[in-house]
Amino acid sequence: MDGACLELSSKNSAQDASATGAEDVFLIQRAQAGDRVAFETLVRMYDREVLKLAVRMVGSPEEAADLYQEVFLKVYRSLNRFHFQSAFSTWLYRVVTNVCLDHLRRQKRRMEVQGPASEDEKTEFFQTVAEERPALDPERQLRAKEIDGRLRSALTGLNPRERMIFELRHYEGMRLRAISEVCGTTEDTVKNCLFRVTQKLREALGDLM
Amino acid sequence: MTCKDLQQQFDAYLYGELPSSERDSLESHLKECAACQSELKQLRRLHALIRERRSPEIPPHWLVRCRQRLEEAIEREEHGWRRLAADWFSVAPGNFPSRLAAMLTLILFGFGLGWVLRPGASKVVPATRQTPQLASFLGGDLGHISSISQVSPDPESNKVRITLNAEHRVTLEGSLDDPHIRQILVDAVKSYNNPGIRLDTLDALKERSDNPMIQNALLYALQRDPNAGVRLEALRCVREMNWNPELQQALIEAVRRDANPGVRVAAADALVQHALSQQDRSLLPVLQNFAETDSNMYIRLKAMAAVHELRQTP
Repeated sequence: MDGACLELSSKNSAQDASATGAEDVFLIQRAQAGDRVAFETLVRMYDREVLKLAVRMVGSPEEAADLYQEVFLKVYRSLNRFHFQSAFSTWLYRVVTNVCLDHLRRQKRRMEVQGPASEDEKTEFFQTVAEERPALDPERQLRAKEIDGRLRSALTGLNPRERMIFELRHYEGMRLRAISEVCGTTEDTVKNCLFRVTQKLREALGDLM
Repeated sequence: MTCKDLQQQFDAYLYGELPSSERDSLESHLKECAACQSELKQLRRLHALIRERRSPEIPPHWLVRCRQRLEEAIEREEHGWRRLAADWFSVAPGNFPSRLAAMLTLILFGFGLGWVLRPGASKVVPATRQTPQLASFLGGDLGHISSISQVSPDPESNKVRITLNAEHRVTLEGSLDDPHIRQILVDAVKSYNNPGIRLDTLDALKERSDNPMIQNALLYALQRDPNAGVRLEALRCVREMNWNPELQQALIEAVRRDANPGVRVAAADALVQHALSQQDRSLLPVLQNFAETDSNMYIRLKAMAAVHELRQTP
């Protein structure tokens, strides 16, 4: 159930607590005491990845920027409720997950009422994004572009929760256990979800494989 | 286990997250089952395709814009109604209904006060810059001070001479130990329009930088004075102060936000000098951040060298 992801409360896990590094602990404690510089430093340690995830989830840079703001404002408001019972990154990604899923659900409702928005704006950003592998030959670049387009299109066929779990696993490199904690579910549920996603993607991308 | 059950494990197998016992039994099944081998091959291809997806590189200016917007939002939050309400509810004693009742009473009281003090309801006495102590110190017949025309510290006698323009021109002389003299000078740092006077005043005040009121004025000048020369002088003065969290915060803020590169560099120098001389590793995250993100190459290099040195020391 999607709502399971919306819990901000931390789980008891000594192992995860120790995963919050000494530098993070220092910054979090200072930020909890009202130190704005510490909070900003904490934000800067994680925000690039958060923004990338938001871009991948919603496609549009403007929407991703709004989600970025919503995530870190929520973190700012509720940081005092973080008691080091889980890794800070797990707690942060729980917030990110909740914000992104809420956004996608709202977007879905809007699309049901108004019809789908134009994709032009969403693709524009990706076309201006710097290519990470400039050494690729033109043919491979073309193929990479095609794969990119087909994958993005296939991913829009997933429900928001499947999409998030897929992103966390494949592009954030999270382990299954961490994803289960972020989403407030079990590892088996995450495994089953990824299996379903795999089947859907194979159907959509079969001719490219 | 059936082939279908085992195929559900393939993702975890490829991620390297299958427990060793399950991995062993899966691998021995794979040796004998051509259908599962083919399935696994397909899945490997899919994973390779997924890896080929381009990662959205975030343009630096875009991240900067997001950070600025966040800072502004937090700033609004800090000074907005939300903070006011949060502070009230966290400080006010009693349970929720009584706090709510008290809050409503306060609002009504505010409206009442506004009504009583509305324009024309009574004669409003214009505020002067003169404190009661200062009025008595100056003899009470000077009216308010219109300007300060001179501040001259005398290092030998440890006294300061201040020339004030009130109704008459008056020259005062006294030590910084005198609270009235201190009050005038602190006032001058915070309010007077003439940057030259503010510079002279800072020069006089730095002799007593151990005094909390003077420390406050020096930090105020560092953070808020509109003139970069005065901010730079304030920075020199605060370097004489004992290190404390407010000073550290003010220096960090200066590096981050001051519009003048000279002030930013001087603030970074002060932070680095303190971090290295005191082996203050608590500054590591901040210096690391400067090393990675500051727009000024000197600050980046300076911070990078400091981080390196701090990490080298046990």
